Amino acid sequence: MSIALELRNLIRSGIHRIGELELQMDVYGYPYVLCHHEVAGLATKPSFGGLDLHEDPAAARDLSTHAGDGTYRFAKGQTNLKRGWVMALENEEDLRQAVDQFYPASVGVFLAFRDGTLEIENLRDKLNRQTGMYRFARTISDAGAQRLVREVCGPAHQCARRILWRIDENTPLEDSEASRYRGIIGGLPENEAIPLLCREACNHFVAECRKVAKQEFEKKEA
Amino acid sequence: MPFAPKPHSALLIVGHGSTENPDSSTPYFEHADEIRRRSLFAEVHCCFWKEEPSMREALYMIDSDEVYVVPDFISEGYFTQDVIPRELGLTGPTSTVRGKTLHYCLPVGVHPHMTDLILRRAKEVARDIDPSQTTLIITGHGTGLNQNSTKAIRDQVDHIIAAGAGYAAVRDAYMEEQPFIAGWDELSPTPNVIVVPFFISDGLHSYQDIPVLLGIEPEVGPAASQREVFRHNPHHLRGKTLYYSSAIGTERLIADLILDQISDFDQARKAR
Repeated sequence: MSIALELRNLIRSGIHRIGELELQMDVYGYPYVLCHHEVAGLATKPSFGGLDLHEDPAAARDLSTHAGDGTYRFAKGQTNLKRGWVMALENEEDLRQAVDQFYPASVGVFLAFRDGTLEIENLRDKLNRQTGMYRFARTISDAGAQRLVREVCGPAHQCARRILWRIDENTPLEDSEASRYRGIIGGLPENEAIPLLCREACNHFVAECRKVAKQEFEKKEA
Repeated sequence: MPFAPKPHSALLIVGHGSTENPDSSTPYFEHADEIRRRSLFAEVHCCFWKEEPSMREALYMIDSDEVYVVPDFISEGYFTQDVIPRELGLTGPTSTVRGKTLHYCLPVGVHPHMTDLILRRAKEVARDIDPSQTTLIITGHGTGLNQNSTKAIRDQVDHIIAAGAGYAAVRDAYMEEQPFIAGWDELSPTPNVIVVPFFISDGLHSYQDIPVLLGIEPEVGPAASQREVFRHNPHHLRGKTLYYSSAIGTERLIADLILDQISDFDQARKAR
């Protein structure tokens, strides 16, 4: 079954949230409507409650590039998605395309995780593949990496993803709010939301690893 | 020749992307949108080295069993020859990865039609000037690490000269190796100079670094989406009239080069 039809079935089964998006069906003649979950009440009102209407799924890229205060959303899992808009879509293919622009590959990654076929990449593997100026990131200590997870990841640091990776195969993440997070915003039960999954450390985390690795090196040299 | 639709195949456009510059990935999405509008593939996606989705996530979002992978890169080099094959698990021109057949095409920048796009861009940026009084400079990054990135630009210079476009001189120049773009005026024997950055996006290099090297800007400024530098042409600097274009990859017709690379791949496959 295609990812779009899988998504349709998930929504029909009661799923209505992914990241900060609220997914609704059959609103004013549109099969699918999505918006920021905090303005979901407006989306069902006449004229979509005054929210800016978008009907092209490609608009999702512009809507998700900058936060409401204009800052660049360098990671798509950041919990600073703009409000004030609503997207009304004609079919599940458009819905899938829009969701993949807000949260790239999120539905496919979730389906693979559910089916037990998702390949997870531990931090050391990710760091060891870095090139150029990021090559140095691989020298970070385990303790430095564990601390970074607490200081960079999780909802307290604006990331909505559930971390699946470890430091390496034998080194799980230490217990913290970030490592425990389920990837579902708003405390919804698991049968109402598609969790945002983090199958590999993001490039922002890699950049932070490089900074810490440099600090560790300079400390050792001093 | 019109592109024969592939309604059962996916197109995966691979780009570099950036964690810091929001404009870096814009051209890739625009190329994808352009091709999607033409309804030639069952699905069209982008993936990146430095943005999401990553190359390793890309296959999870593709339904089709056959995928054409086109590097939206300006030249062959470390990324197209090492990083992309490694990240996608490619073993040759055609590979089977997680049950899908992946066809790996050449990067857009090396397609012969790229020369036409450069000439078109040069004409657009400096419409009414006489080519015989003008030097055209194609500029890129340049690095000692891989000769291919400079080769792609030198090839374009040769093609433009061979095409007889009428420019008094056509030169290559680089940010980090000789001949340096910072010496553009000394490279140009004419009163008019057109500089076309051979990059896919107006990211850090073409929009922020090169204007400083040219002398247009006193220091590195904000990202392209927040400014309008290209509209200030021409620049009267160092006794010459300088026209600076946006990166060649921002040209919408790059979408055609992506399709051309796929057609060429299929031709070569038939011949194999």
